[in-house]
Amino acid sequence: MQAGDRQAQPAVLAAPAEWTLPKRPSVAANVWRFVRRKPLGTFGMLLVIVMVAMTLGPPKAEFGTPELPDRPLGFELGKPFMAKYEAQAVFRGGVVNALIGPIDQWLKPSTQHWLGTDRGGHDTYSRMVFAARRSLFIGLWALTFATIVGCTIGVVSAYFRGWSDTLIQRLMDSLQAFPALLLLIMIISLFEPNLTIMAIALGFVGVTSVQRIVRGVVLSTREEPYVEAARVLGASDLRTMVFHILPNIMAPVIVVFSIGLGTVILAEAALAFIVPESVPSDPSWGIMLNVTRDSLPPEAKGYHTVAAGGAIVLAVLGFNLAGDALRDVLDPRLRVG
Amino acid sequence: MQQYILRRSLLNLLAIFFVVTLIFLLLRIDTGHVVTMRAQQTQTASAEAEEAARQQVREDLGLDKPLLVQYRTYLWNLVHGDLGESFQAREDVISEIGDRIGPSLELGLLQIMVALVVAVPIGVISAIRQDTAIDYVLRFFAIALLGIPVFVLAVFVLTLSAQKFGYTAPYTDYKDLLPFPPFATEEGVGVWNNLQIMFMPAIIGGLGTGAIIMRFLRSQMLEVLRQDYVRTAWAKGLRERVIILRHSLKNAMIPVLTVVGLLLGIIVSGNVVLETIFFIPGIGLWIVNAIGEYDYPIVQGVVLVVAGVLVFINLLVDITYAWLDPRIRYG
Repeated sequence: MQAGDRQAQPAVLAAPAEWTLPKRPSVAANVWRFVRRKPLGTFGMLLVIVMVAMTLGPPKAEFGTPELPDRPLGFELGKPFMAKYEAQAVFRGGVVNALIGPIDQWLKPSTQHWLGTDRGGHDTYSRMVFAARRSLFIGLWALTFATIVGCTIGVVSAYFRGWSDTLIQRLMDSLQAFPALLLLIMIISLFEPNLTIMAIALGFVGVTSVQRIVRGVVLSTREEPYVEAARVLGASDLRTMVFHILPNIMAPVIVVFSIGLGTVILAEAALAFIVPESVPSDPSWGIMLNVTRDSLPPEAKGYHTVAAGGAIVLAVLGFNLAGDALRDVLDPRLRVG
Repeated sequence: MQQYILRRSLLNLLAIFFVVTLIFLLLRIDTGHVVTMRAQQTQTASAEAEEAARQQVREDLGLDKPLLVQYRTYLWNLVHGDLGESFQAREDVISEIGDRIGPSLELGLLQIMVALVVAVPIGVISAIRQDTAIDYVLRFFAIALLGIPVFVLAVFVLTLSAQKFGYTAPYTDYKDLLPFPPFATEEGVGVWNNLQIMFMPAIIGGLGTGAIIMRFLRSQMLEVLRQDYVRTAWAKGLRERVIILRHSLKNAMIPVLTVVGLLLGIIVSGNVVLETIFFIPGIGLWIVNAIGEYDYPIVQGVVLVVAGVLVFINLLVDITYAWLDPRIRYG
């Protein structure tokens, strides 16, 4: 009987000519599955895409929005890395009109000014676009900083364990003991208003949470057979960490990155709202909201407030929903609450 | 248990030491602003006189000494409870903090109260009626509240109440906000006045925190409701009330308590925002103003006190948790 089986095997394994391997689902099919399974996540993705698209090109001049520079996301295409983004504060009705005569402040939304104008007569929509660039610029820089530093600390701390791990974790605990907002206000008040400093400060505050999640994942990853195999083969600690552990924790890192973006954008808006004098003064959603709070005249309607506040809410909502959905798809282990 | 408490306390002392060192180093990054501000207080005629004044200020503040010597003096003063005096008002920072911490504590406690009052019933209802219409509605509100940041909501509410209803909270000096005795008869003083100022920020801040607690409590309840002992309780024929409140909620609340401990950091940050928006004269508004004037003794003092209190509360939460659930200690 056994002999017969063994003889029959090759016949079974030799596949008929019409057999093919199951095809990998196409990208479109994957996207469609994501849309069906995670409608809220899709909504969030759409919000993010709209926000990015808004910053990519100059809005049509005929709609009353001024000439925005052709610099998507704050850096020029073709430049090696994110060059520093400087707002060119050329707004129709802004500085120029202030010099010439009365300014059209607190105008109602119209085809000329999609969302009306603010206290200085600036077009609210174009300021929102500028502010979106600033938010994305700060968010990407801060998260890049936080992820690189947090990953390094988390991986090293979890890989070596022992007393160094305890020391690093207590240090991180003490950082986390600070209320984030107070620490941020303190750091940025030490320097001249500067976008890069702000991004680094926001990233610095985010390091603790990134490293905690990375450390948790590495603690289990380092016990995996393939890490053990690498060690048996004589791979050095550095090689094990960079080539064996790091590629295998990419999913949680991506998730942390996307969820962190929403948090950082929110923190930037909150900072600009509370201490507008300590942050760079080019358009920011936080500053716009602060201006409407300070000086909205009684006869003006509330939509000026809604415009600035709504931008913050939609951006944060978009990043959070997209991040949550990504987390469910990429790494369900991270799910909390 | 004693060993556990001792170990946690020592680790927390280490954490506080790191906090102190970090603040010291941060404030020494750039001392130029401070020196300039102080030097401008004395009237100077010429450039040399100005430079001399700056030099004088550096000597006064001990900034001309080596960093390690400064660090030693700083720690020495700190151990003796001396946080220095503020640059502008020239008042002792510690006693000023004592004066202003009252409204902040009140706002924080009110926020936690609102959060728990809202979150616990909603979390329980949402869990025991899982996947029904009421569950979806409640969860939708929780997500919506999570998505709207506190300061945006606060500005919306303020604008709406001022423009549509013409209502603004009365303004009070910080010494009148928490009067003693509480039921004063004067105009603009007393409990009623206090609550008029506090209710809007407390509700706005509390709802945001409550949404986080509600989501967490719901998932905890769902887990507890599937436990064997809950099924036993049902099988025994106990009333639903008893099963939900006494057998399930009590156990589900244990992890929630730790979350409340962790949320304190968020509540303190929220306090800073809310105090700034609603002009509540607590330490949050004070520190924001102090930062604008480069008044570093205040910044340093407030951050130290807040961080110290948070570390201490986290220690308490850890110990309570270990006491409620002995498995933690062996983990």
